[in-house]
Amino acid sequence: MAGIDSKDIHKIIVACDAGMGSSVMLASTLKKQLKGTGVTVEHTPVDSIPADADVVLCHSGLAARARAAAPGKPLVAFQIFLGDPAVTKLVDAIKNGGTVDA
Amino acid sequence: MRDDLLDPRAVLLHESAPDRDAAIRRCGRALVEVGAVAEPYVEAMLDRERTISTYVGEEVAIPHGTAASKEDVKRDAICVVRFPGGVDWDGERVTLCVGIAAKGDGHVPLLAELAEILLDPDRARTLREATQVSQIMKELT
Repeated sequence: MAGIDSKDIHKIIVACDAGMGSSVMLASTLKKQLKGTGVTVEHTPVDSIPADADVVLCHSGLAARARAAAPGKPLVAFQIFLGDPAVTKLVDAIKNGGTVDA
Repeated sequence: MRDDLLDPRAVLLHESAPDRDAAIRRCGRALVEVGAVAEPYVEAMLDRERTISTYVGEEVAIPHGTAASKEDVKRDAICVVRFPGGVDWDGERVTLCVGIAAKGDGHVPLLAELAEILLDPDRARTLREATQVSQIMKELT
C-alpha cells in the first residue's frame, strides 16, 4: 500500500454505482467536514472517475471496479457509509497533516 | 427543498416485514404508489441491495435502484417506511428505511440532512421513533 501525503490531496471522488444513495450521503458529509480546507469533494459513478482526482473513496464492494476504472489512483475503501474509521483517518490527515494509506 | 420529493402518502410508520427483501419491496411499492417509479424499479432495488448493503447506521437503510434502473424513475422522490419490530438486514437491525428514487440531484439536500441526523444519536432516535407523519416531514424537509 502506497501512501499519499495529505497536502497533495485537492480533490476527493466518492465513487459509487448508481450515485443516488449512500455515496451522495457520504459526499455531503465529507464536504461539510472539509469545509475551509480547500479540498473539493464530488461523487461520480465508479466507471467515470475523473483524471484529476487525487483520492478515490469507495465502498469495499466496489473497490475492484474502481481500481480497474482508475488504475494507479490512490484508493481508500470503506465498509460503513457514515463514521467509517478509514474515512475519519482521511479527514484527520487532511486537517492536521500526515500521510494516508491509499 | 422541493416539496414534491417526500409525499406524505409515502411515509408509512407502522409496517412490518419478515425479512430484508420484503422490507425493500414495501419501500418500492410506496414509490410506485406515489407515481415516482415504474414497477421494474422494485427488482432493481433488490439487485442493488444484493451487491452492496444500503445500511447506513443507526438502524437505518436507504434502499435504492441501480444506475441502469434510472430509466424506470419518473421523478426524484423518497419514501420513509418504519418497521417498529425491526428487520434483520444482513445481521444489522433496521427499523427505518428511506427508499430513494432519483434521476437527478433533486434529493441530494434531503440525503445531506439525513446524514446530519444520523450523525447525531438523539436526532436519529427521534426519527426512528416517530409515530406521526408530521414529525418525519419536519425532521427531513
